[in-house]
Amino acid sequence: MMDPVKITIDGKEVITAKGKTVIQAAAEVGVAIPHYCYHSKLSIAGNCRMCLVEIEKMPKLQIACNTQVAEGMGVLTQSPKVLAVRKAVMEFLLINHPVDCPICDQAGECQLQNYYMEHNREASRFEVGKQHDRKKTIFGPNVIFDGERCIKCTRCVRFCQEITKTNELAVINRGDHSTIALFNDRMLDNPLSANVVDICPVGALTDRDFRFKVRVWYLQKTPSVCPGCSTGCNISVETYQNQIARFKPRINDAVNSHWICDEGRYCFHELTGGERLTTPMIRQEGGLVPATWEDALQAVLAGLRSAKAAAGIVTGRSTNEETFLFARLMKKLRPGSPLEVCYQERELNETQKILMSPDRSPNFRGARDLGVRSNGGYASLLQKLLAGDFSAAYVVGEDLVGANGGGERLRAALQKLSFLVVQDIRLSETTKLAHVVLPATHFGEKEGTYTSRKGRVQKLNAAVIAPEGALQDWQIFLRLLDLAGEKLSYATPAQIFQALAGEVALYQGISYATIGDQGIQLGGGDVEQS
Amino acid sequence: MTMEKLLLRNIGVTDSHTLAVYQSRGGYHSWEKVVRNMKPAELIEEVKASGLRGRGGAGFPTGMKWSFVPKDSPKPKYLVCNADESEPGTFKDRLLIEQDPHAIIEGTLIAAYAIQSHTAFIYIRGELVAGAKILERTVEEACQARFIGKNIFGSSYNLDVIVHRGAGAYICGEETALLSSLEGGRGWPKVKPPFPATHGLFGCPTVVNNVETLAALPWIIERGAAAYAAMGTEKSKGTKLFSVSGHISRPGVYELEMGYPLKKFLEKDCGGVPNGRKLKGVIPGGGSMPVLRPEEIEKVNLDYESVQAAGSMLGSGGVIVMDETTCMVRAASNLARFYAHESCGQCSPCREGCHWMEKIFHRIELGEGQTGDLDLILNISGNIMGNTICPFGDAAAMPAAAFIKKFRDEFEAHIAEKRCTVSTQ
Repeated sequence: MMDPVKITIDGKEVITAKGKTVIQAAAEVGVAIPHYCYHSKLSIAGNCRMCLVEIEKMPKLQIACNTQVAEGMGVLTQSPKVLAVRKAVMEFLLINHPVDCPICDQAGECQLQNYYMEHNREASRFEVGKQHDRKKTIFGPNVIFDGERCIKCTRCVRFCQEITKTNELAVINRGDHSTIALFNDRMLDNPLSANVVDICPVGALTDRDFRFKVRVWYLQKTPSVCPGCSTGCNISVETYQNQIARFKPRINDAVNSHWICDEGRYCFHELTGGERLTTPMIRQEGGLVPATWEDALQAVLAGLRSAKAAAGIVTGRSTNEETFLFARLMKKLRPGSPLEVCYQERELNETQKILMSPDRSPNFRGARDLGVRSNGGYASLLQKLLAGDFSAAYVVGEDLVGANGGGERLRAALQKLSFLVVQDIRLSETTKLAHVVLPATHFGEKEGTYTSRKGRVQKLNAAVIAPEGALQDWQIFLRLLDLAGEKLSYATPAQIFQALAGEVALYQGISYATIGDQGIQLGGGDVEQS
Repeated sequence: MTMEKLLLRNIGVTDSHTLAVYQSRGGYHSWEKVVRNMKPAELIEEVKASGLRGRGGAGFPTGMKWSFVPKDSPKPKYLVCNADESEPGTFKDRLLIEQDPHAIIEGTLIAAYAIQSHTAFIYIRGELVAGAKILERTVEEACQARFIGKNIFGSSYNLDVIVHRGAGAYICGEETALLSSLEGGRGWPKVKPPFPATHGLFGCPTVVNNVETLAALPWIIERGAAAYAAMGTEKSKGTKLFSVSGHISRPGVYELEMGYPLKKFLEKDCGGVPNGRKLKGVIPGGGSMPVLRPEEIEKVNLDYESVQAAGSMLGSGGVIVMDETTCMVRAASNLARFYAHESCGQCSPCREGCHWMEKIFHRIELGEGQTGDLDLILNISGNIMGNTICPFGDAAAMPAAAFIKKFRDEFEAHIAEKRCTVSTQ
């Protein structure tokens, strides 16, 4: 800690540090000073005037966001002057606002609503004609703007200047004609664009994907980890009627700060959409036909055991607990068979690199640490598959032919296999080639852990319930192990994690309960693996 | 008013704007004296001793302002001449720019030397097209005469002067908005701290001085701080320019010794209110300052302290005179419209409040005023005052409140009778 500084906040003594602002020092001791323009990750704008506080011995009120603490400073956040100015600022911010809360998507999570209730609660005295502005103006593929709801806090402008450095947004015009606009008409389509929606404290910027789908107070929020890539951004999976409605970033300064990328934010559509598989299937003459779990699992066992050479490929979205069991299963059934986790890289530009990793495999590092790795890696395994080195394969959670651009050559190679088992959530180009199809679950239905590219173990929580008929991937592996003669009594992913933590040196000493909502950094630090 | 003129000494002289005439009247001797004989610290002390205060409106001691610039900063330092004169009723800087531009340049050079700046900017209001051309020509002449450039007077001191035209926003006269504009950004005032003395133009130590302030420097150097400090009052030293406009027999720019009686000035020097009409109100320091009633100016002297004691401010010295035919509702409405138009829109109270006040003033003027409107305006102006990033909020709020407080009967009659009871127009 830097030099300690003693101040008082509303009469209570507070020890803080030199260089802190009043708003920071207050927040540290649980005193929330209302604010709009201030954001801990952006430069100080000082324009909303909502955080004005009284500093003893200073004649004028001071903005808490730009006032540095000083020894002996007396801060009053609840004095009559302060309460009066908050009321006044709220009135100013609302006079030209349309107060269209019933049709505003921000309602329920709007700081104008919240602070009005906390700090004003008066009828409007404004009756001289509101200033109008542009409505539903498209700013970019993901963001739409309502100028009349905007309070000109400039958080969005500063985000595009300071975080993405892409400068799409600017304030134009003057006085109460001031508004936010696209600078030189260039669209707001940077890879982090939708974060401006999250930091907009009001209903001016809303999410084109989410808006009007659900009133936010109906959303259930589950802390989890983004499945989009291996950065491991912390997210809140927000659901309504057992459907994922949106992702929102969760703050984690060790990983993603306050942000998530747009690709991650909207990846749940691709990862969860489409018609779900709800029954196992076995290939008969003429095609795949529904089967019981018992028959399907027996068929998997028989198919894998009788093959000359087998390979296992698991998606990078499998949890540590799942890959741990998968590796164990394959070792039991086909010792020495090569196992791999799907991993492909793409080029990223500088703005993408702020958050995005080059892969789309959130748990590739975890899978490899748990033994899902072969000589030569994933690309080499695919080459061997194409070359016809294997007669059987177990593919978990990945559409190798369709989604991963494997194409016709891979389709042909998979068709030549004497046995292919595919475990996935929907009928894909790859499942169509399978001899046995096992209906499984996606990231949003799972509990477990992912290990990020930089070695941070973080927890997924089930946000929605899997459809009737599908099984959790870990349960499928457990049942197969059981049929193969290995009785394991894990009843939850937590128990599987404790088992792997006991076996895998890297995870030793970590208990599932202590991972919490912010994750735990593995030893070895920020070692990059690819 | 028979004092020696300092600021207006060259005004009215044929071709006063040329280098030849300026030099023939002693021009640039002070600059030479500074570069050859004075250390920056001595110069700052000299100006402190003169008591010169900023003439842009705030009246901050000039030498003190210079002394805030850190001497050991590795960053470049900048001197900026604020020629963005836009205060309603103020036109003194324009006169100097057009008729004595070399005095401004010489003052700019002296101030730049004091803070050891090697690049000085003159930020001139966009509408002053002729003035900008004159200043550019003036800088050119001074460059050719080697008063500006490298190794000035054979010393190791180098200085460039750049004339920069504003784009027509009143707010850019506020020093931090001026700096934002000069940086190529939107003309928005900056939150303080940090202050320009340490984090000004492009984040570097910067001093912004008004045209009139700078134009006083050559005389102070030539005649000495003591001579300057001998004029004026105890706290308001020297002379000041006053722009007089409105219902007055002889409008124009006057130079007065600080402390000159306002009433005497208006009646004797400016010839009083014409056409035998009675005085109704005076704004002593430009549109941003509270209006005074005739009985309030009886004992007011034109210095910072006396005007403040009377409940207004000396400001820029823009004296606006209104006679008995003036509709004060209309005057207030007119000023409110100006501030609503010129609010930069950055911070909430000013952006929203100025327009709100303007709309209420406007409806009173139209005869659509409501009971309670006056108290509402007073309340809004109170909610703006002191709560904004820059002084613009106060500049808009103060006159609005003053007009209502001092001419409340007239506003109430306007509301009650739904028409103007003063003007016959």
